[in-house]
Amino acid sequence: MPVEFVIRLADVPIGVAAVYGQTKRFCADYLTDETPAFSVEITRADLDAEWFASDYDEQTRNAKDERHDAYLETLALYRLIVEELVKHNVLLFHGSALAIDGKAFLFSGKSGAGKSTHARLWREHFGNRVTMINDDKPLLRIDESGVTVYGTPWDGKHRLSANVSAPLAAICFIEQASENAVEQVEGTSAWDLLAKQVYRPRSGEGMVRMLELVDALHAESPVFAAACTMDDQVVSMVYAALADAS
Amino acid sequence: MSRHAEGDCSMKLKDGFLTHDMNGKQVLVSVGGSDFAGLVRSNETAAFIVDCLKHDTTPEAIIDALAAEYDAPRERLIDGVALVLATLGEIGALED
Repeated sequence: MPVEFVIRLADVPIGVAAVYGQTKRFCADYLTDETPAFSVEITRADLDAEWFASDYDEQTRNAKDERHDAYLETLALYRLIVEELVKHNVLLFHGSALAIDGKAFLFSGKSGAGKSTHARLWREHFGNRVTMINDDKPLLRIDESGVTVYGTPWDGKHRLSANVSAPLAAICFIEQASENAVEQVEGTSAWDLLAKQVYRPRSGEGMVRMLELVDALHAESPVFAAACTMDDQVVSMVYAALADAS
Repeated sequence: MSRHAEGDCSMKLKDGFLTHDMNGKQVLVSVGGSDFAGLVRSNETAAFIVDCLKHDTTPEAIIDALAAEYDAPRERLIDGVALVLATLGEIGALED
């Protein structure tokens, strides 16, 4: 018996038919009564595909226990949703997104580069002025009103997110370094940085739409690159540069 | 000697690889789920070659098309095409 519910992500109501009740609980903060704009159903094949792609060791894979299966369902669900959301002007972006004074800032970069750490430094520096939107995979809506960043329950290993949204002020690519420096990135360099952090649809049609949205994102949002020492000093510098441009 | 060096060997860009133009600059990307997760920024010549590959073609035909467009010695064009085809082959972007 599938577990059925509707969630609202990036202002889009989405119908879900899941295998595990756990998945509904995972989405608790996003449940809604609305009529779905579209629906997704997780099948055994979707779960098996996640097992295939997972890092689990031989023993875990052979056991294929329910606990891991249920966890993998949440991954399968986001994948199905994000694949479809691109048709609703929404992109999944790898990065740590926070809101400060009602404006969103997005930190991105390679795995381990320090985006979550940088967001944490901002929380420590600005205290209550900061709300974490999503520490790992926020959704970005790009339309006539500009770029809006949304929280989702898929929020990384520290589970930092909130069901909030804010207009995007700037995106900053983080890299660890021994000295602090921030500069704006433009043109194809900026575009390439953005394109690499966005979820790639599996369909050609979805891919074309994703690329159009990256174009729009590139046109709307200032992009920066920051070399950071990962201590409090860098926060004021990065904030000043980003707030200035937006 | 790579197969792609044979002038009349038929080839084209694999399904799932598509180009995107931003301000006249071309980038080649593959859809999600494929092995190649990067993107390839093509210069003008490479972009021209990639565009040729959107339909069934051969290395010889690509060189001919380039020769019609660009005023360069044929040897240079042959080398250029071989290089681009090798790169595309490496990322799995070509099919026979």
